[in-house]
Amino acid sequence: MSEPILPAAKSSSQLNDEMLSSLRTPTWSWYALALFLGAVVAWGLYAFGYMLTTDMSCTGLNRPVMWGVYIVNFVFWIGLSHSGTMVSAILRLSRANWRRPILRAAEAMTVFTVAVGGLFPLIHLGRNWVFFYLIPYPNQRGLWPNFRSALLWDATAIFTYIIGSSLFLYLGMLPDLAVARDRSSGWRFKLYSVLAMGWRGAAREWAIFHQASTLMAALIIPVAVSVHSIVAWDFAVTVIPGWHSTIFPPYFVIGAIHSGVAAVITLMIIIRRVFHLEDYLTPLHFDNMGKLLLVIALLWSYAYFVEVQTTWYAHEPIEWEVFSFMADKYAFLLLFMIFANSVLPIVALCFKRLRRSIAVMLVVSVLINVGMFIERFLIIVPSLSHKNMPFVWGTYRPTWVELSVTAGAFAGFALMYTLFAKCFPMVAVTDVRELEAQKSVVRLSRTRLQSSAEKE
Amino acid sequence: MEKMTSQYRWGMVVDLDRCTGCGACVVACQAENNVAICGKKEISEGRNMHWLRIERFWVGKYPDVRARFLPVLCQHCQDAPCEPVCPVYASYHNPDGLNGQVYNRCVGTRYCGNNCPYAVRVFNFYNHEWPKPLDNQLSPDMTVRTRGVMEKCTFCVQRIRRAKEDAKSENRAIRDGEIQPACAQTCPTDALVFGNMADPRSRVAILSRSPRRFRLLEHLGTHPSIYYLKGGGREHV
Amino acid sequence: MKRRTFLQLGTIIAASAVLDGCRSKNEQLIPYLIPPDEGVTPGKGTYYASSCNACPAGCGILVRVSEGRAKKIEGNPDHPINRGKLCARGQAIVQELYHPDRVPHPLKRNGPRGSGAFTRISWQEGIGLLADKLKALQREQNTNGLALLTPHLRGTLAELTSRFMRTFGSTNHVSYELLTPDLLRAAARRSFGHPSLPYYDIAETRYLLSFGADFVENHLSPVKYGSAFGQMRQGRDTVRGHFTYVGGRMSLTAASADRWMPAKPGSEGALALGMARLILAESLYDSGALAANGLEAKKLLAALDRYDLPRVTQLSGLPQGAIAEVAREFASTRPALALAGEMVAFQSNGPESVRAVHLLNLLVGSLNRPGGIYPDAGFPSGPENSFAELLALIETMHGGNVKVAMIHGDPLYSVPPATGFHDALAKVPFIVSFSSLLDDTALHADLVLPDHAALESWGDVIPVAGTREPVVGLMQPVVEPLFDTRQFPEVLLATAHELGGRMAAALPDESYLELLKGAIRKQAGLEAGVDFEATWVDLLQHGGSFKGKSSKLTGYRWGSDAPPPLPEDPDFAGDPKTYPFHLIVYPSTAFYDGRGAPYPWLQQLPDPMTTVVWGSWVEINPETAAELGIGFGDLVEVTSPQGTLRLPAVVYPGIRPDMVAVPLGQGHGGMGRYAQGQGVNPLALVARQGTKQQPAWNATRVRITRISGKGELVTAGHPQGSLRSELVEI
Repeated sequence: MSEPILPAAKSSSQLNDEMLSSLRTPTWSWYALALFLGAVVAWGLYAFGYMLTTDMSCTGLNRPVMWGVYIVNFVFWIGLSHSGTMVSAILRLSRANWRRPILRAAEAMTVFTVAVGGLFPLIHLGRNWVFFYLIPYPNQRGLWPNFRSALLWDATAIFTYIIGSSLFLYLGMLPDLAVARDRSSGWRFKLYSVLAMGWRGAAREWAIFHQASTLMAALIIPVAVSVHSIVAWDFAVTVIPGWHSTIFPPYFVIGAIHSGVAAVITLMIIIRRVFHLEDYLTPLHFDNMGKLLLVIALLWSYAYFVEVQTTWYAHEPIEWEVFSFMADKYAFLLLFMIFANSVLPIVALCFKRLRRSIAVMLVVSVLINVGMFIERFLIIVPSLSHKNMPFVWGTYRPTWVELSVTAGAFAGFALMYTLFAKCFPMVAVTDVRELEAQKSVVRLSRTRLQSSAEKE
Repeated sequence: MEKMTSQYRWGMVVDLDRCTGCGACVVACQAENNVAICGKKEISEGRNMHWLRIERFWVGKYPDVRARFLPVLCQHCQDAPCEPVCPVYASYHNPDGLNGQVYNRCVGTRYCGNNCPYAVRVFNFYNHEWPKPLDNQLSPDMTVRTRGVMEKCTFCVQRIRRAKEDAKSENRAIRDGEIQPACAQTCPTDALVFGNMADPRSRVAILSRSPRRFRLLEHLGTHPSIYYLKGGGREHV
Repeated sequence: MKRRTFLQLGTIIAASAVLDGCRSKNEQLIPYLIPPDEGVTPGKGTYYASSCNACPAGCGILVRVSEGRAKKIEGNPDHPINRGKLCARGQAIVQELYHPDRVPHPLKRNGPRGSGAFTRISWQEGIGLLADKLKALQREQNTNGLALLTPHLRGTLAELTSRFMRTFGSTNHVSYELLTPDLLRAAARRSFGHPSLPYYDIAETRYLLSFGADFVENHLSPVKYGSAFGQMRQGRDTVRGHFTYVGGRMSLTAASADRWMPAKPGSEGALALGMARLILAESLYDSGALAANGLEAKKLLAALDRYDLPRVTQLSGLPQGAIAEVAREFASTRPALALAGEMVAFQSNGPESVRAVHLLNLLVGSLNRPGGIYPDAGFPSGPENSFAELLALIETMHGGNVKVAMIHGDPLYSVPPATGFHDALAKVPFIVSFSSLLDDTALHADLVLPDHAALESWGDVIPVAGTREPVVGLMQPVVEPLFDTRQFPEVLLATAHELGGRMAAALPDESYLELLKGAIRKQAGLEAGVDFEATWVDLLQHGGSFKGKSSKLTGYRWGSDAPPPLPEDPDFAGDPKTYPFHLIVYPSTAFYDGRGAPYPWLQQLPDPMTTVVWGSWVEINPETAAELGIGFGDLVEVTSPQGTLRLPAVVYPGIRPDMVAVPLGQGHGGMGRYAQGQGVNPLALVARQGTKQQPAWNATRVRITRISGKGELVTAGHPQGSLRSELVEI
């Protein structure tokens, strides 16, 4: 790597200071943001409460379109969650050094998006208040959920994923919490003390930490892949034209990473800006993330093409009907989606100059996520609208309730992130410092260690 | 296919050559099963609660145009797509080959409704009420479904149960023709015939072997219990 | 449940119903804490046999009653008309009983007419009020100032009403129904010398040729003939009956046909005669039948000379080849059967066109033959032009000579405004309505004396047609009356009692049940010593008497003085240039002439042909619609010389391009929450042809203009999906 990953000539305390800048006392603008987000979340909760207390007629759902924006949200948010952990784990395993400043942002995103996404299947239920029927708890009636149902696979996978990714986030944050602990006082000190679990930075601790991180990273990748494959099976195991397709699991996983990586880039840009981390998140990072995104955009485009192409080739009447209907009624959305997910990133990200332009990266990454949301919508709604019985074809238009809940979900995610950023170090301090340390000969106890960076 | 543990496998034959599309079955079903009354708005939103509908297709152009009718109710598939997807077993297969629906257990994922290729499952988007004294007509044999649950044709399982009890008390099997779902009972042209498919001599089994038979969306491999007999028309004279 | 079992059950029920009929019952809700002594088991249904009066067909019904409430109506398997089957309308009458907007007690108007402002009064007061008005007429020696307007009544109720009017001294008793088979009777009288309606042996025929007879949905006895149609198609092992339908609009019946011949409206008679001429010319006729009816082929051929193929082709707008083909098929397939229905009869040349169809049946020897037509024994004679009587009454009302109008039914809805009925009725100072829902007429009434629902009533129901043996169906109350209502005949009896004198003497019965039992007893012709009560209970259990003496009419024979049918050219109201389209108003499958509209089940039932729910529409051929720029569901304005209506368009592939059709039955100003404000009443468009005293509902011309893209049309089926039958491979 020709250019420096880290700003040169900064003292370690300066580094700590800057990287932990997000933990400073909140400003009024932070409060304003939190309040605004809180208000949107409250509105979303009101909309959900309205649906809960009246009935589901306030949604746009109908027969045949029995799943709508709620499930779009579910798939979208679970998709987003992929990036985080996947990106972080893959980069960790592949020892890409430039990854270090973005790890935390990505991992935190995973946890929050899974949390938000995991709520949607419950919001979507016709009788939300008996959601616990889905949980395999022992009861005297001997009732058991149906493990043949993809929805139960979902529940299992998401539960696993939420635990795994929380652990992953927490584990990576452990040394940072210790740093934060050492620099704080009052209730924060108590909180960090508990959370840091007595981390002292001893060599043995570091050795275990490294082993654990690598292990977690290796373990979380198959979980992440399987989670989104399982989400894809929700659709692929059905007999609905347009859903019943073997390419769905890999296609969904690629789509998930696509939206996830884009979301990480968007977040990086926001964090960089808000917390003045320009020195740590440099164009180099964006360049590298841009390359990753380019690869994924190509993969996604291929998968999408294959899906359409096989349908076209088989030309099964009802499947083709679904595609024709989508291309007709949702032509604008379809074209926009293809432009945002495929054409724009592939064209833009080929150029180094564009990859290094923060503005371009922002536009590209945001548009990809808009595009991916539309893509989820176009997978779910047109297929259901024109199912096998043409006499009961229908259409779907989300109502204010569904849109409010969606807005609430976005705001909720942002709020959690905002709160998290205020409470926990947003840049992986130790990870960055580790890199720095690796560059020189380090004294560890009585031993002198040759830095790994020098070896490379 | 599920292993049969019952001597009954309920099935139906719909003779499209007899069916005139009059709609008597639709009202019979609604009356028998406490199916909710849906207003104009509700139906315009695609939330009609009818368990049985008569599809009408236009074929050809004036003056060589034909209208074809297709009564569609739950096909009671032997390999029902709605059953495995229900996470709580609200949609299940009973030993007589019926696709049951347990309203109390249903949480309303609507997965079964999506996965039913025949789109015969209806969901209670609304909390339906019967203005007094219209509620007097509600049959005590059937649950009145609340909002948020899926419901569907049961082949009038309450009638089947009653007949089974009667037969049991007399220590005999149910006779052919003893049970008629409300739709088949009222059908003026006898287009709908119900009976035990497992008994090769039953009327329904004999009819189901007709050369005119076909099953709806047969290529999906759902193995419906309802056989249709192709309608006539000029081309069949 | 086996028939035997439930008849046994029925025995118990019927007996208890009779014995407890007049006793008032404990109306508390707790009775099941203490088991009731009548053997009512919660959840266990019991069946009462009764009869349906939702249309003139008079099917037998069984009402499942559970815990004192009527739950479900099924066909009575013993009843010869419907044999256990029942149509949608019949099943919905349980909603008449439990309709949330029923008039619960007598009402007196206290606002302007039509405003719906009424005050509650007692029955004593209500009957007193009516009796006072009648007494005033008696005092003024103006007994003709009383008019009674009812639907076609048959049996004891007809007898009672006519006795009431006769004794009172009024001749103004008109039985009017919109969809009356009067013209079929008139045609039969001209052809065969007696006004019997035809009985069609559809089940046994091999070639069915219907001229506008929609026997599946409303013609005479739809359940009976629907059932027979099923038999004709698939009831015989080796024969599948062929069905050809003639009519400009593809009705529900036509949709089941193998061949649809969209003839120009009013040309059906000419078409039938064209076929007859071809059959005669090609000697395909049954010479024996001709001889038996005293006809000569040569003479007949000469009389039909005008109806050569090219001319008939031109008149009917059908391809020449098809006409000839159908004529030959019809003549060479035996037995063959031709039907003529309301769509033909309600043209200006209706009766003669119907007679042309009679001639077709005669030519192929289908009179009085299995698979042919017989004189119907259901109700052998009836009114032959009640429309003329109605017009006469309207005249009288216009002259201000009617002081009190007693109205059963809803003529303000079902009489076309072109007759001037609405204005005429407004001139009547005192209107009494017996409607159980506040329909258009009741809303204009001064006094509403609400009738019982059918399931609370006693009565005898004589089917208008559909049987070769006389049938008397019985109606019995299956539940306690829900509200403070009284049956219409009971009110008549009470009024007569109140009037005293001659009236009381002529109508001495204490109750209608007594009168009814007397009438049935007379019919049964019991020998001395036989216990009538036992017979009565037996009749109630079975739903009526189905083994009447055979009718005197043994068969149809062409009248010796009957001229050959020669329908004149059809006459349409409206100039073809200004009004380019023929308007067809047809009875809706669900609502019949509008009496089904208040029941939500029927409102929700998709119209079979258009799948429209909760509304009305105008059907337009796709080509015409494209020319006029009208899309599916667009709001259009239909204008006739008589009036203008706005309603959504249904692009309907099964209608002639020069025709539009609007269903009857919607557009009520009242009739409860489910009917009120739904759709429009197309009778507002129907114009009269000059001074003709003949109902010709289908002889009006209209023009169509597109208004806007929004028509509030709701269909159960997806308009485009409905064209994609290949996706379900049917």
